[in-house]
Amino acid sequence: MSTDGETDHKTGKLEFSLDVPFPSSSEASIALRSLSPDREPRRGGISKRLTVTGNTLSVRWSADEARILRVSVNSFLDHLSLVLETMETFGPPVDSGI
Amino acid sequence: MSRSSAAMTVVIGFEGSANKIGIGIIRDGEVLSNPRRTYITPPGQGFMPSDTARHHRAVILTVLKEALEQAGLKPADIDCVAYTKGPGMGAPLVTVALVARTVAQLWGKPLLGVNHCIGHIEMGRLITKANNPTVLYVSGGNTQVIAYSERRYRIFGETIDIAVGNCLDRFARVIKISNDPSPGYNIEQMAKKGSQYVELPYTVKGMDVSFSGILSYIEETVFSMLVEITERAMAHCGSQEVLIVGGVGCNLRLQEMMGVMCQERGAKLFATDERFCIDNGAMIAQAGWEMFRSGQVTELEDSWITQRYRTDEVEVTWRD
Repeated sequence: MSTDGETDHKTGKLEFSLDVPFPSSSEASIALRSLSPDREPRRGGISKRLTVTGNTLSVRWSADEARILRVSVNSFLDHLSLVLETMETFGPPVDSGI
Repeated sequence: MSRSSAAMTVVIGFEGSANKIGIGIIRDGEVLSNPRRTYITPPGQGFMPSDTARHHRAVILTVLKEALEQAGLKPADIDCVAYTKGPGMGAPLVTVALVARTVAQLWGKPLLGVNHCIGHIEMGRLITKANNPTVLYVSGGNTQVIAYSERRYRIFGETIDIAVGNCLDRFARVIKISNDPSPGYNIEQMAKKGSQYVELPYTVKGMDVSFSGILSYIEETVFSMLVEITERAMAHCGSQEVLIVGGVGCNLRLQEMMGVMCQERGAKLFATDERFCIDNGAMIAQAGWEMFRSGQVTELEDSWITQRYRTDEVEVTWRD
């Protein structure tokens, strides 16, 4: 995984990005579709976007404060690890051609 | 020649909206498995959302394996994955929904978001075979009197503040009763040994009740209030059946008091045992089975969980 955090000096928001590699693009998509439906518990001050490019799930956060960013990223990593463990235990996906 | 199972529908249900995590499998009205774990806090403490979510996270995949093993099924045998969309605590709901969404995709099965209260109702109907009862739904998180009418489970009356189970749990906390197996169960055991009735505020407002002003109550008072509002709903609907669902429904004294009222009206009382009145996965599977068979499915983008989800928001497409 690669991450970096920086402040966007134009908007004044903190930007944080995370890239997660998967064995295939279908598995990256499965993770995306499991992780994207729920809204952030805290409506204001934080937003995130999930996308899949090739085999990689990318997540991009935009936050007003570091504290709010930390909580959201922390929570996301917990959720990601649950999804990964579920995929390891019950995968691979049925139409994976294996 | 193997027996065709084309007519059989197998649904797996995931439930974890409060401190119980349960996963159950139903095949055409038969409960094939229904394992469950409860997060029990020390006496004097309630359960907080993030700790509860952590508890569920630690055991959910084990419970899922148990559900499949005990049913003797493989993922390929499942037709639909049902999970609790709401209402309930946010963090635990998300934990469970994540696993349900993931396995639904891994196994290539449709997903169904179920209303937790409707899960209780459909399980009660399945187990007791009650035809069209007035439902009293009483648990730690919910207190509602419900009757079915024209494709909706209509809420006739409810608590105007806290659930009766919440009231009981808070009382148990104040006097430091053990939370094992549940505070309500331990209150019931202690109440059986009591003989002095203490008059406390009795708060019924028409179809609704209020519990927050009387945290130092005794069972007799709160249960009498519930019997009264149930009776009022029955009179309003011309109903001759009562079904009690939800964790507080395990309480034998509540069942006894409701039974007296029913007998006086010539009505029938239905209730289930602790396997099914306490939150469990099979009840979500059962509601999911009804929904799935009537053509409902939840798209992944719409599968977000919600802490608030009223029983009457759901279109009951499986009943006339």
